[in-house]
Amino acid sequence: MKSWKATLAGLVVAASLGAAPAFAETLRVGMECTYAPFNYRTPDGELAGYDVDVAKGISEIIGVDFEYVCQEWDGMIPALLANKFDLIIASMSITEKRMEQIDFSSPYRVSIGRLVGPVGKDWNLFDDNGEPIAENFSGLRVGVERASTYFEWFSAKMPDAELALYDSNEAMYLDLKNGRVDMIMTNPMKAHLSFLSGDGAGKYEFVSPAVDEPEFFGPGVGVGLRKGNEELRDNISAAIRQLIRDGKLEEYALKIFPFPIHSEAWAEIE
Amino acid sequence: MSAQIIIDALPRMLGGMVLTFQLLLLSLAAGTVIALLLLLMRISGRWWLSWPAQVYFYVFRGTPILVQIFIIYYGLPQFDWIRDSVFWPILRDPFGCAIVALSLNVGAYVSEIFRGGVLSVERGLLEAGAALGMSAPQRFVHITAPLAIRIALPAYGNEVISLLKSTALASTITLADMTGIARTIVAETFAPYQVFLSLAIVYVTLTWFIQRSIRYIENVLGRYTVR
Repeated sequence: MKSWKATLAGLVVAASLGAAPAFAETLRVGMECTYAPFNYRTPDGELAGYDVDVAKGISEIIGVDFEYVCQEWDGMIPALLANKFDLIIASMSITEKRMEQIDFSSPYRVSIGRLVGPVGKDWNLFDDNGEPIAENFSGLRVGVERASTYFEWFSAKMPDAELALYDSNEAMYLDLKNGRVDMIMTNPMKAHLSFLSGDGAGKYEFVSPAVDEPEFFGPGVGVGLRKGNEELRDNISAAIRQLIRDGKLEEYALKIFPFPIHSEAWAEIE
Repeated sequence: MSAQIIIDALPRMLGGMVLTFQLLLLSLAAGTVIALLLLLMRISGRWWLSWPAQVYFYVFRGTPILVQIFIIYYGLPQFDWIRDSVFWPILRDPFGCAIVALSLNVGAYVSEIFRGGVLSVERGLLEAGAALGMSAPQRFVHITAPLAIRIALPAYGNEVISLLKSTALASTITLADMTGIARTIVAETFAPYQVFLSLAIVYVTLTWFIQRSIRYIENVLGRYTVR
């Protein structure tokens, strides 16, 4: 009997010693794990990418261990709300619509979209000011990821275009190559790295200027979390500002791109 | 608030019902034709006909329908000769791919259901037919087929219901059937519970109607056997 109680007491002590000091817990972070170069697995199975670097940077500053959960994009917010994880660090743009459901930290990456299509098509889709010409999109089949900001932008601006909804980026590129869609709208950083400078080089190109409309794409990409965690949110925002001031965000971006993908001005936003 | 999500979602999802029914009816028709061909091959008594039919059956019953859809939709276009072939207009279109995949799959299952019906027809009846001087095709058309259809019908109805639910997989290849629309609504509202639950109720209702229709046909065909 005695020994049984001693064992139990020992377990309790061990459990409390094992926990992280600051928040006395581990936070679970949701991401796709397939969205290179932002969050993906290396051939060794290690998570890597800009989002992962940012997550590690935040984890170090706020002193909480992170545990990573892989989740498909269209279930990301429902999974957060269902408490499957505590934070979304998955290149999720801050939008009004999403903010009805969840909270965001301050941004850690810019959010823009661009169209990718075959080289040499003279579609005349954008005017000289970079504004889309809606009627020239009619009859074109455009691939976008379901539930993405690109989908929102397209269905609002170009009602005549036929949209094909994809559950993964890879499937979308496959269909572009197979000629099932005329063009796709996607993240230009990712498109540059994973497609235009590799597989699709010479055959595909950007067929639009960078589209940057905060109304649809929001102020940028932030860390998502459930409402009612103001203290944690503010800690994370402060950590992101510190990462900007310390030049860490720039360092993370330069690992992948020849240019930074955040705004220095964000270091000043409170 | 959650009731409002359902009220907004239902009419949009019902808009996808046309596509769901197109998928169901077209692939059921094509699948039944495939099934008949496979059946004739299997009961032909010639190994070079029955053997390929058996291989077909094993391949399509032995693999998940989602995998078949992915092979047809994503796999086949990897080959240039497929993209240059006459089939490309069908295979380029996600709707065509879904019809092809569902028909090939349902054909395998239905052929087995038909075969069960054919095998259950009593030998004595066929021997009697032969004694009356009927040829083998005549015996098949006048004796085997009418009896086999009646026996196979309940299982066939089951397969129709199962096919209705398989059409939901078409949403994975960009088609906006009821499930595809529901998934888009979930992505917009972040309310999976309300939306998918209403979708489930829609499918249950459709299943009920299909079940009633099959029961009705069973009663009509079996009207002489009712005691």
